[in-house]
Amino acid sequence: MDLFLQLFTTGIMLGSIYALVALGWTLIYKCSGVLNLAMGELTLIGAYVCLTLYRWLNPHMALNLAFIMAILFTLVIGAILGLLTEHAFLRKMIGEPVLSVIMVTVGLSFFFKGTIFIIWNPDTQIFTPRIFPLKPLLIGNVVIGQVYLWSFIAAIILLVVFVSFFKYTRWGLSMQATADDEMAALSLGVSAKFVYALAWAIAFMAAGVGGTLLGNINGLNYSVGLLGLLVLPAVVLGGLNSVPGAIAGGLIIGVLQNLTGGYLDRFFPGGVKEVAPFAIMVIFLLFKPYGIWGWERIERV
Amino acid sequence: MEGKESILKINNIEVKYHEVILVLKGVSIEVPGGGIVALLGANGAGKSTTLKAISGLLKHEDGKVTDGSIELMGERIDRLEAEEIAKRGIFQIIEGRRVFEHLTVEENLRVGAHLRGNGKAIKERLEMVYGYFPRLKEVRNVTAGFISGGEQQMTVIGRAMMAQPKLMLLDEPSMGLAPMLIKEIFDIITMLNQKEKISILLVEQNVKLALTVAPYAYVLENGRIVMDDTSEKLKENPDIRDFYLGLTDVGGRKSFRDVKHYKRRKRWLT
Ligand SMILES: Nc1ncnc2c1ncn2[C@@H]1O[C@H](COP(=O)(O)OP(=O)(O)OP(=O)(O)O)[C@@H](O)[C@H]1O
Ligand SMILES: [Mg+2]
Repeated sequence: MDLFLQLFTTGIMLGSIYALVALGWTLIYKCSGVLNLAMGELTLIGAYVCLTLYRWLNPHMALNLAFIMAILFTLVIGAILGLLTEHAFLRKMIGEPVLSVIMVTVGLSFFFKGTIFIIWNPDTQIFTPRIFPLKPLLIGNVVIGQVYLWSFIAAIILLVVFVSFFKYTRWGLSMQATADDEMAALSLGVSAKFVYALAWAIAFMAAGVGGTLLGNINGLNYSVGLLGLLVLPAVVLGGLNSVPGAIAGGLIIGVLQNLTGGYLDRFFPGGVKEVAPFAIMVIFLLFKPYGIWGWERIERV
Repeated sequence: MEGKESILKINNIEVKYHEVILVLKGVSIEVPGGGIVALLGANGAGKSTTLKAISGLLKHEDGKVTDGSIELMGERIDRLEAEEIAKRGIFQIIEGRRVFEHLTVEENLRVGAHLRGNGKAIKERLEMVYGYFPRLKEVRNVTAGFISGGEQQMTVIGRAMMAQPKLMLLDEPSMGLAPMLIKEIFDIITMLNQKEKISILLVEQNVKLALTVAPYAYVLENGRIVMDDTSEKLKENPDIRDFYLGLTDVGGRKSFRDVKHYKRRKRWLT
């Protein structure tokens, strides 16, 4: 039981990071219908930007402050990159066939990857000096690394901020409206183009912080970009176009990964942890193609 | 149409979808400031297309005004983006009660105020809308996908009211609603016109009703305006009585086949 609790707790914490990235992915899909296959690279860009900023700021201020500032600047830069990316690459694709748009995102992923490794060294880098103390916390019988706990807190704060943005702000509501019925939103003067751009900005922001947190846990190298792939089973579970679904999907994938890793790795050494989410996604799709929270059109009874 | 300054002037427009499908072939319509004008016509005549040409939503469906012009208070608007046109005060209520299904009624209304500023002003407008539609206040926190058809129609009208329109383009507000509700909604439309000074271009299949609410009407057929006159005169017009009001002197509504036959014999003349 202790092992289970242990795996479960860390899974939730890891999952909160996936949830953040999944939210970004879903937002783009929901608002503009674009299936973004470049999400992994968005996480990488954010992580490298944040690492660079952190190393830069670190000599001038306290560690924690430097890290927080680095994350805040990463959010700002992410937003700008998101707006630019949408404007430069996706705006022209509005109204083109779905497949062409997907191919553009594939192209983007190569383009970003190339750019990233021109700028940054591909060897594994760690956030030094260490930001969070190594000494783990003991809660009941569960041992929690501080880095996990703080990542969890950061991810939750951002999730709350984003969800409040959708619920309570003018542009947040207009984004939801566009996702529901673009034509009707247009008829009220909502600029669909700006909504798409905002979606990309938020996706970049969320992915950037997600990448940073993960890179801070495991060390930063290309494998952080695989997070972008993991997002797919998360959003499929959540039903592609549901924000709460994406968040739940992220958490579930985090837990599943940890449980399969903890229990099954003994029998199938190697990559169970990596494969399990996809295996589950496939099985899940067979039975519930709309995901748990996916929109089927609302039918009144 | 003489006398009053017109708010909207459509001059002989031609509209094409996908650059090849010619749908409007020379349509001219004038809406006087503060007036209500009805646009009548059979299915597929091009009524919705006309409204979309005005509101700019046409571009969203790969349609284009290829000839003629549309003027709002003397200013050309036919080349503007939908967003710009909305900023100038024209709001279309698309046919089919297109609420934002996953938002609550009040959130729907708030989106209506997207172009209209700050918290306090929005509160006042919300109260104004709830004043016209007390029912919406009762369901304000219900997800719009789950309210009744009548309430959805009220939501989309209320949503456009939040935007402080100068000109409202209403596309078949009576469609699929019970007679009692239709009356309620049309009373409110008349009130909006009189009290809030909103000019209205009304597309309706319910011709009898449209001619009661609007003092002037145009008849669109196959992408052309074939007749326009005061509602008084149109109500007496034998063709209108025959096709649209189903009041032939012989009595009884004619079947579509009869109408088609009749059409072949005698075309609409202005
Ligand atoms: N997006 C589009 N692409 C191509 N053709 C279209 C498009 N929208 C409408 N049409 C065509 O234009 C014509 C007029 O359509 P429109 O919707 O304006 O008619 P309507 O008078 O509003 O009819 P209804 O009473 O059925 O709503 C129809 O023949 C229709 O097939
Ligand atoms: Mg129509």
